[in-house]
Amino acid sequence: MTGEDERDDGDEGRADQFVCTAAVLDVTPDVVAVSNLGVASYVLAGVADRERNFYQWGSMGVTTPTGLGLALAVDDPVVVFEGDGSLLMSLGVLSTLGAVDPPNLTVVVWDNAIYGTTGGQPNHSASTDFVGVAESCGVPATRVRSEDAFEDAYRAATERDRTELIVCAVEPVDPDTRPPFDFAHIKRRVREELAGE
Amino acid sequence: MTWIDQAIDGLKRTNIELIAYLPDTTISPLIEATQDDDAFETVLVTREEAAVGVLSGAWLGGRRGALLCQSSGLANTFNALASLSVPARLPFLGIVTRRGDLGEFNLAQVPAGYNMPGLLDELSVRNHSVHDAEDVDDRVEMAAESAFSTETPYVLLLETTVTGYKEESK
Ligand SMILES: Cc1ncc(C[n+]2csc(CCOP(=O)(O)OP(=O)(O)O)c2C)c(N)n1
Ligand SMILES: [Mg+2]
Repeated sequence: MTGEDERDDGDEGRADQFVCTAAVLDVTPDVVAVSNLGVASYVLAGVADRERNFYQWGSMGVTTPTGLGLALAVDDPVVVFEGDGSLLMSLGVLSTLGAVDPPNLTVVVWDNAIYGTTGGQPNHSASTDFVGVAESCGVPATRVRSEDAFEDAYRAATERDRTELIVCAVEPVDPDTRPPFDFAHIKRRVREELAGE
Repeated sequence: MTWIDQAIDGLKRTNIELIAYLPDTTISPLIEATQDDDAFETVLVTREEAAVGVLSGAWLGGRRGALLCQSSGLANTFNALASLSVPARLPFLGIVTRRGDLGEFNLAQVPAGYNMPGLLDELSVRNHSVHDAEDVDDRVEMAAESAFSTETPYVLLLETTVTGYKEESK
C-alpha cells in the first residue's frame, strides 16, 4: 500500500476487466496502451481498437519492459495492461521500473490468478504479494478489487509524476474479440500515430 | 581511435540515443562511455529480453536504441526476438561481445556463444562478426542502417580479436 493513499477495498470480490479497461481510456483518452498477449489484448481490442494500442501477440514477460520503452520515448501517459502470469515470468522488471521511474507510466496487473489465455491453469498469484514485491523494488503499488476503486486508483496514479503499479483482482473472462492478426500492421499504426512515420 | 571511441561515433552518426544493457567485462568500457556522454540515455535491465522490450517500445515512440550485452545475454532474448522483434518488425541494433570462440576458457560460454551466428540465422535475425578493431566505426554505422531502414533487429558480434579476452590458463 502506498502510505499516503490507502485504498484497499477489502478481501472480497473481483472487478470486471472490460469495465476497468474502459475506465482507463475514459480517464486518459490519449493514453498509449501496451497490452499483454492473450486476454488483456482481446479485452482492449473489444473495448476500443485504437491506433495507440500496442497489442502483444507473443513475448510473454516482455509487456512491461515494452511499456517502459514507450514511456521513455513519449510525453503522453503510457499504461501497461499486464497479466499476472506474464509479470511472474519477469518480476525483475520491477527493479528496473523502481530505478528508472518514468513519470508517465502506470502498470495495471490483471490478477485473475490464472494463465487465462491458455485455458485457465492456476499460477502463483495467490501466494505472491505483488504490491509487496513492487514496493520493495521502489515502485509504489496499490491493490483493488472493484471497478470504482480501480478507477480512483488509476486516476490518482496518473496525477502523480512517477511510475506506479495497480494490481486489480479481476474475474476471469474469455472474450471473442481479437486485435488485428497482422503484427507488423499494429506496430506501423502505433509508430505513425506517435512518431508520424 | 579505440574500438570504444569508434562505437560511440557510429552510434551518434546513426542517431541512436537509448542504450539498454547488462554488462560483461569486455563491453563495460563501452557502456561506461555511453553513460559519460549526454547524447545517450542508458537503462540497466535485469534480464536481456527486457531490453528488447524497452528498445521496441522506444522505437514505437520515435527513438532509436541499441542493446549492449554478452552473447549469453543475447541467448536470454530469443523468445522476445522470435515473437516480438521479427514478426512485428521492430528494429534495434545489438552490439554483443561474443564469447565461446578464440581464447575462450569457459565451456559454459561455448554452446550459445560459439554457435550464436547460426542461432541468430535460424531466428532470421541478421548478424555480422567484427574481427578487426579498426572496422568497428564503419560496421556500427552500417549495421544501424540495416536495422532501422528495414525495421528489423541487426546484431553485431564483437569478437575477442576486437575486445580482448580473459587469459585464465597461463
Ligand atoms: C514464453 C511463453 N510461455 C508460455 C506461453 C503460453 N502462454 C500464452 S498466454 C499464457 C498465459 C498468460 O498468462 P497471464 O499473463 O496471466 O495472462 P492471462 O492469460 O491470464 O490474461 C501462456 C502461459 C507463451 N506464449 N510464451
Ligand atoms: Mg492471468
